[in-house]
Amino acid sequence: MLNRIKTVFAEARDLTMSRLQNDTLIIEVAYLASLCDESKVGDFINAPFSKQEVPFADLVKRNPSFIRLDDPAKWAETMLHGFALLQLNGLVYKLDVARIIRNENPQTLVETVIMGPQIALSEDLIDSINIIRSRYPSEELAIEERTVGVISKTRMTLLFDKHRVDATVLDHIRAKLEHLSDPTYTATGELVRSLGDRYRLFPSMMMTERPDRVCTAIEDGKVILLLQGSMFAIILPATFFDFLHAVDDEYDSYWMTRIMIVLRYMAVVLTITLPALYIAIMSYNPELFRVQLTLSIAGSRTAVPYPSFVEVFIMLFMIESLIEASVRLPKYIGSTATTVGGLILGQAAQQAGLVSSIMIIVTSVVAISNFVIPVNNMSTAVRFLKYPLLVPAIFFGISGVTLGLVCYLIYLADLRSFGKPYFRLFGKQRSLSTDIGQVSQE
Amino acid sequence: MNRYFYYNVLLLGLINLALFVPHTLIQYRYTGALMSMACAAVSGTVLAILFTHVMKTFPGKGIPEILSLYIPKYASIPFLLVWALTWLSASSLSLNTFSVLINRFFNPDTSSMIVLIVMCLTCMYGATRSLLTIIFVLEIGLIFSAPIILFVFFKAIHNKNMEWDAIRTVIQYWKQMPRIKPFAAASFAFTGYINFFMMNRLLSPNFRLRFRWLIPVICSLALLISFFVPIGIHGTEESANYLYIWSVTSDTLIMTYGFIERVIFVFLLMYLVMTLIFASIGWLMAMEMVKSCLPKAKPDIDPSRTPRSNWIIVSFFAAMTVAYANWISEKENFEITTYWIVIRSGVEIFSVLFLFVLSLFAPKAGKPKAGKKLEQ
Repeated sequence: MLNRIKTVFAEARDLTMSRLQNDTLIIEVAYLASLCDESKVGDFINAPFSKQEVPFADLVKRNPSFIRLDDPAKWAETMLHGFALLQLNGLVYKLDVARIIRNENPQTLVETVIMGPQIALSEDLIDSINIIRSRYPSEELAIEERTVGVISKTRMTLLFDKHRVDATVLDHIRAKLEHLSDPTYTATGELVRSLGDRYRLFPSMMMTERPDRVCTAIEDGKVILLLQGSMFAIILPATFFDFLHAVDDEYDSYWMTRIMIVLRYMAVVLTITLPALYIAIMSYNPELFRVQLTLSIAGSRTAVPYPSFVEVFIMLFMIESLIEASVRLPKYIGSTATTVGGLILGQAAQQAGLVSSIMIIVTSVVAISNFVIPVNNMSTAVRFLKYPLLVPAIFFGISGVTLGLVCYLIYLADLRSFGKPYFRLFGKQRSLSTDIGQVSQE
Repeated sequence: MNRYFYYNVLLLGLINLALFVPHTLIQYRYTGALMSMACAAVSGTVLAILFTHVMKTFPGKGIPEILSLYIPKYASIPFLLVWALTWLSASSLSLNTFSVLINRFFNPDTSSMIVLIVMCLTCMYGATRSLLTIIFVLEIGLIFSAPIILFVFFKAIHNKNMEWDAIRTVIQYWKQMPRIKPFAAASFAFTGYINFFMMNRLLSPNFRLRFRWLIPVICSLALLISFFVPIGIHGTEESANYLYIWSVTSDTLIMTYGFIERVIFVFLLMYLVMTLIFASIGWLMAMEMVKSCLPKAKPDIDPSRTPRSNWIIVSFFAAMTVAYANWISEKENFEITTYWIVIRSGVEIFSVLFLFVLSLFAPKAGKPKAGKKLEQ
């Protein structure tokens, strides 16, 4: 065994191989020291082997931690997942001795709530499953393990409630997972792209770090994907409305949270349409607004020497760079960027006559209402949507904006998330036999 | 899923304003419009009820599938093509009319041709989608725009310029005999059910339509408002002078406290949304009918990938619409629309009666329940 492993890992310096002997037996042990907890190897193999309190061969047979591994082709892969290989009497066993470096008990950072669980999923698969299982203690919870990535062979689990899950969705997901052919997967975002979100304008799968969101999703019959090394779970299928629903909505005062949901939808509409509407109303249809308002808007633009769409492009460029800069900067100088950017945007640009003061209000409303969306991958998707809408606004004014919105509406209604309608009002998640479109298609 | 049926009813009830229906009716206000409307209400409701019986008899089947139960495929092709042409013309005429309106009120600097082309592109996108998609679009579009349109109606009725005497004057002519043209125009508002020629494919076998009384209520209200409110606001004589009567009527209204002062802008934008959805549905219906004429056609309510044939057929429709707008002037368009409305209502009455007769001779298999209900 050892020779064979040595040829496979020819260049790996962290490969540890040893041949041990006691009175009766010779065993061979091989593992990758960098991936393994060597004290575990000592406790499980070396110590009992040399102490010989029980015959070691019996111990290996009786201890379920030692699992038979007959296929030599799987040796390398198994070792790369942090297992130690043990050869005894011509049989090969594997033993899980993995040591995984990860964040300890992480707090939720991306999707924060005021009152609600503060712990996030872990970067280690087993810990994540621990967190989920302890919150969803049901024997119906099924856990299916696979690997994805031709090179990385990243461990991945599918979690679902086998009683509630929609069988067609599950088949759909399994079929898609079979066809993944990318070499490596290091983050859930890559998996989301490979599963079919690459060219979509809207995410059809939700990425979340929150265990409570994961558990409610399992309860709703959805499927959860967990990837080793990433603290974000993928929930699928998802609808548009799920993305605008924060977990707080279930924890806080009922009426206020309903208002917040309405507010979020309004914010989405505003952040998508406002730049386009500004162009349309400034350059095409100033008669739309009442005279006083039109005059004051036009008055604020008197110093601006170019058409409104140039102004919009300048300001959107500024605000997008500001957001991008504050994401990329280290935390210690992050606040500098916002202060400088805010000052320039808020005061100087307007006083210099580069942009109108109304445009500054428009820009801030666009940016702020974009941040209202609770799930991050929807928030970035919506951030993009205002740009295509600028084109019809530049050429056709307010009617162009309406046409563009109708196109978005059709696009949204046409999306399916793993066979489920994505943008359907009052639709039940689970398919009912009396529902529309549920005709038996023989 | 009753609501999807009534969305269609409501859409047709509201969209009639965009297709010269109130104008045609007002032309006949002294000579039989009221009686024609009453007749249309009765006949429209009866046809709708007859058609719901057809729907119940053939659950989950579109018209092509129903026809194929009785007659061979080559014989059903002429029927399907005539229906396809009816839906195509409905959509194209409304698009054409609305592109002129947009050109008048929003984009006076561009030509209505360009506006029409852009609208056609949007509708092409909508019409190439699946039946299931378009019904979701309809739902969201209506939930978004119908309240605002109803608000405009409400505002119009409660307008202090509304002259109820004018309305009473017109009502006094109710004894006049009904005429064909206003009858056909009024019956257009009652044809919401007709989209279920194809959308019936979406309904599950155990679907039962409830609240049928809503059909006459929704449609009659829409028709009465669209006929009487312009008369009340513009007067008995003056109201006949406007072609786009409802645009002018909504322009008499003012929102005192909003960003937007003139109601017409809101009204037209909402109607733009509705017209686009209406036209997309019409083209989609026509496209499905043309497609079912093709050999090897297989109905699919929600294909995962848009078939290329969808795009080919619908771009042909769009080209026809643009060509029509290019060759036909606005005045001719109006003339043609009024004649078209008459022909359309003939086609509707004939085809619904035809289908009803077919449904009476439906194959008995798997249908003992319906028979029992009739006996009780």
